[in-house]
Amino acid sequence: MTRGLILGALLLLYALVVVPFTTYMRQRPVALKLGYTPAGEALRLVASDQRYLLAQLAVDRVLFYFGSLFTKDGHRVSTPPEYFNMFATMQSALKLDPYNMDAYYFTEAAFTWELKRIREVNNMLDYGMKYRTWDAQLPFYAGFNAAYFSKDYRTASLYMQKAAELSGNPLYTTLASRYFYEAGQSALGITFLRAMEQSAKDAKVKKIYQVRRKALEGITVISDALNRFREARHTLPPDLKTLVREGFLSRIPEDPYGGTFYLDSKGKVVSSSKLAGKQ
Amino acid sequence: MDVFRATVVMTFRWILRDRVLHAILAVALLMILLVPALSTFSMRQVQELSITLSLSAISFVLLMVTVLLGASSVWRDIERRYLASVLTLPISRTVFLLGRFCGIACFIALCGVVLGAAAAVIISVSSAQYPSDIPIHWDKIGLALLADIAKYIMLASVGIFFSTVSTSFYFPFFASIGIYLAGSGSQEVYEYVSGQFGKEMGSVSVALFKAVYYLIPNFAAFDLKVPAIYGVPVLPAGLGLTFSYAVLYCAILLCVSSYTFSRRQFP
Amino acid sequence: MNAIDIRNLSKTYRTRKWGRVDALQDLTLSVGKGEVFGFLGPNGAGKSTTIKTLMGLISPSAGTAQMAGVPVGDARCRMKVGYLPENPAFYDFLTAREYLRFVAAMFGMSPQETQAATGKVLGLLELEGAADRPIRGFSKGMVQRLGLAQAMLHDPEIYVLDEPMSGLDPLGRALVKNIIRDLKQQGKTVFFSTHITADVEVVCDRVGVIVKGKLQTVNAVHELLAAGVVGYQVQVTGLSDFSGEGVEVTVRGGGILELQVPRELLSLTLEKLGSRGAEITLIEPNRQDLESFFLEVVAQGKK
Repeated sequence: MTRGLILGALLLLYALVVVPFTTYMRQRPVALKLGYTPAGEALRLVASDQRYLLAQLAVDRVLFYFGSLFTKDGHRVSTPPEYFNMFATMQSALKLDPYNMDAYYFTEAAFTWELKRIREVNNMLDYGMKYRTWDAQLPFYAGFNAAYFSKDYRTASLYMQKAAELSGNPLYTTLASRYFYEAGQSALGITFLRAMEQSAKDAKVKKIYQVRRKALEGITVISDALNRFREARHTLPPDLKTLVREGFLSRIPEDPYGGTFYLDSKGKVVSSSKLAGKQ
Repeated sequence: MDVFRATVVMTFRWILRDRVLHAILAVALLMILLVPALSTFSMRQVQELSITLSLSAISFVLLMVTVLLGASSVWRDIERRYLASVLTLPISRTVFLLGRFCGIACFIALCGVVLGAAAAVIISVSSAQYPSDIPIHWDKIGLALLADIAKYIMLASVGIFFSTVSTSFYFPFFASIGIYLAGSGSQEVYEYVSGQFGKEMGSVSVALFKAVYYLIPNFAAFDLKVPAIYGVPVLPAGLGLTFSYAVLYCAILLCVSSYTFSRRQFP
Repeated sequence: MNAIDIRNLSKTYRTRKWGRVDALQDLTLSVGKGEVFGFLGPNGAGKSTTIKTLMGLISPSAGTAQMAGVPVGDARCRMKVGYLPENPAFYDFLTAREYLRFVAAMFGMSPQETQAATGKVLGLLELEGAADRPIRGFSKGMVQRLGLAQAMLHDPEIYVLDEPMSGLDPLGRALVKNIIRDLKQQGKTVFFSTHITADVEVVCDRVGVIVKGKLQTVNAVHELLAAGVVGYQVQVTGLSDFSGEGVEVTVRGGGILELQVPRELLSLTLEKLGSRGAEITLIEPNRQDLESFFLEVVAQGKK
C-alpha cells in the first residue's frame, strides 16, 4: 500500500522531470567530435579477429561525422572539421582491414576535390591494390586522380589500363584512351563523377558527387559557350551575362554550392562559392 | 537503520571478496597503466587521447562491474541458497533489496573514484610529456566521471530489477547489456525518428519508438566525454535535470523491483 | 496464545505446462508454548512447504498462520523466531563471527549483546576454533552447527528447525538432541521437521505426520509409546520349567528362563511366577516402535 503511494509520487515527479529533461536533451549543445583513433598497428593487436568489425565501425563513425558536417542543426556547436582525424581514422581502419572498400571509397570522395590530398590518397589506393587485386575501382580512382588533379597523364594511363584489364569495362578503356589525348578535363570529370554517383550506396556520399557533378556540368556549359564566343568574336566577353544576351548561352546555370558563376580576370569560369560546401 | 546498514556492509564485503572482481580491477589498472603508451601513438594529440582512453577504460570497467554485480545480486543468493537463511531473518525484502542496491552503488562509486584518481595521475604524466594547446579541464573530467558513475548506478538498478524477476544469471546479464546499448543510442534514434525519416515511417512505429525512448534510461545525457576532452561548455540547468532524472529513474525501478521481489516465492 | 497457529493452510504451485501441484492441503495445527513438536513425513510430503510458509519464503494460497501472535509474512513475526533452514548455506565469504554479527544486526541487538551472545553460541556448538575462518572452508556438519548457532543467537522464544539432524555425524546428532532438550527445559517452543522417527522418540512432546500435503495424525509421543507396547520379555531364575497359556518359554544358559508374555497377561503371569518362588531378573516391554507406527500412517495416507 505504502509502496503504491511512493511509486505514484515518484511517477508524478518523474513526469515533471522527464519533460524538461527530454526537451533539454533535444536542444542541448552538441559538439560533434570525431576524436582520435589509435594507430592501426596498435588496434590490430587488441582487436584480434574482431578487427574487421572494428574497421567497419571506424569507417561508419567517420561517415556519420562527415555527414553531420553538412547537415545544419540549430543546437550544434560549430567546430572546425577534423580532416586530419578523418584521414587518420581511415588509415587505421585500412590497417585493420585492408579490404574495406568503404574506406577507399570515402577517402577518394572526401580528400581529393576539396582538400587536394592527391598524393596521400593515391598512396592509400596503391596499398589497397596490393590486397584488392581483382578490383578495377581502385586503379580507376588512382588514374583519375593522377590525370585530373596531378595532370600526370602517363601514370594515369597506366592505372586506367590496369582498370580496363581487370574489368573489361569499356568505360575504363574510353577513359584510358582519352588520357592519351589529354582530352577535355571537364568531360572527364563529369564522366568520373557520374560513375561514382551511380555506384554510391550511402545517400550522403551520393549527394556529394551529385552536387559536384552539377557544378562541373554548369562550368562545362559556360566554358563551351565561352569558347564559341571567342571563336566567333576573337575576344573575351566582359561578363557572363553578355553570353546570354548575345545568344551563346540560354541562361547562366546555378551553382549548387550556393554561389554565383563569374568570369575572373584571366577569363576562367569560377564561382563565388569556390565550389566548396559550407560548414 | 541498523538492519539496512548491516545489509550494505554485507553486500560490500561480498563484492570486495569476490575473486572475479579482483581480476576485473586488475585488468582495469593495467588498462589505465597502458594509456600513456597507447597515447603516444597519436603524435598530435597525446593529452586528448590520454583523456579519451582513460575515460573510456574507466567506463568499460564500470560497465563490466555493474552488469556483473547487478545481474548476480539476487541470482547468486538464490543459486547458493543464501536467501533461505537471510530472508527468514526479520528483514523485509524491500530493505534487503535497498541494502543490496546501495552496497553495489557505493562500490561502483568507489571504483569510479579510485580508477579516476589513477587516471588523473596518468593524464598528468602523459600531458606533461607532450603539452597540448587545450588546457586540461579537471573539473569537466571529474564531472564526466561523476556522470558515468550515475549512469552505471542507474544500470545497476536495471540489473537488480531484472534479477528480481528471473532465476537465471544470463537473463539479467544480457538484458542489462541490451538496455545499456539501447539506452546509449535511444537519443539519436529518437531524433532520427522525430525528423524527416519519421515521416516516412508510419505513425504507429514512430509512437512505439517514442514510447520505448521514454521507458528505457537515456544514457546519452550522461556522456560528458566531449566536454571533458575538449573543454566544450556544459549547461548547469541541464546537469541538474540529468541528475534528478537519474535519481528518479533509480527510485522508480527500485520501487517496482521491491514489489516484484516481495511477491516472489522461494520454494 | 499458542506459539504457532496454523489455520486451513493450503499451497498450490502452478507448474509449467499448466499443471497444478497441491503441496499443502488444508493444514490446521497448533503448537503450544514450551512444546517440542516433531513434524514427521516422507520426503516431499509438505514439511518444508509448511516451514517455508511460516518463515515467509512462500505465501500460502489459502489459510493463515501466526507465530507469537503475529501473522507470518510480516517481517516482525520473525523477531522472536530462530530458524534453521534445511541444508543451510550462509554467506561463505564471511567468517562465522562476521555472519553472526550480521544476524545480530538483523535482530537489532546492541554491540554488547552481540558480543556476549556470539561467544555463547559459538561455545555451545563447539565452533570457537573456526569462528574467524571464512565459512567457505567449513564442513557440512560445521555449517549445520553454525546454522543452529545463528538460530539461537538472539535467544528466541520459538525455534523452527528444518531437518536439524541431517548431515551430522553421531556426535553432532547427540549434541543437537541435547540442545533441543535444553531448550525444552528453558521453556522454549521447538517445531522441527524430520523423517527420522528415532529423533522424535527421544526429544518430542508431540508428533504430527504429514503425507502428500495432508496432515494425517497428531499424537502425544508418550501416548504413542505406551500404546505401542504389545508384550513383555521376562527373565526369571529359580525355576526349571514354566508353562502358561499364551506365554512362550525358552531356556537360556545359567538357569535362566525367558518368557514372552502378551501385554494383557503380564499381571497374571507375574502373580503365577511369584507364587512359585521365581526370582524376576528382568522385565522389558516389547513394543511396536514409532517407525512402524509412522509407516502405517504413511501407508494409509497414500491410499
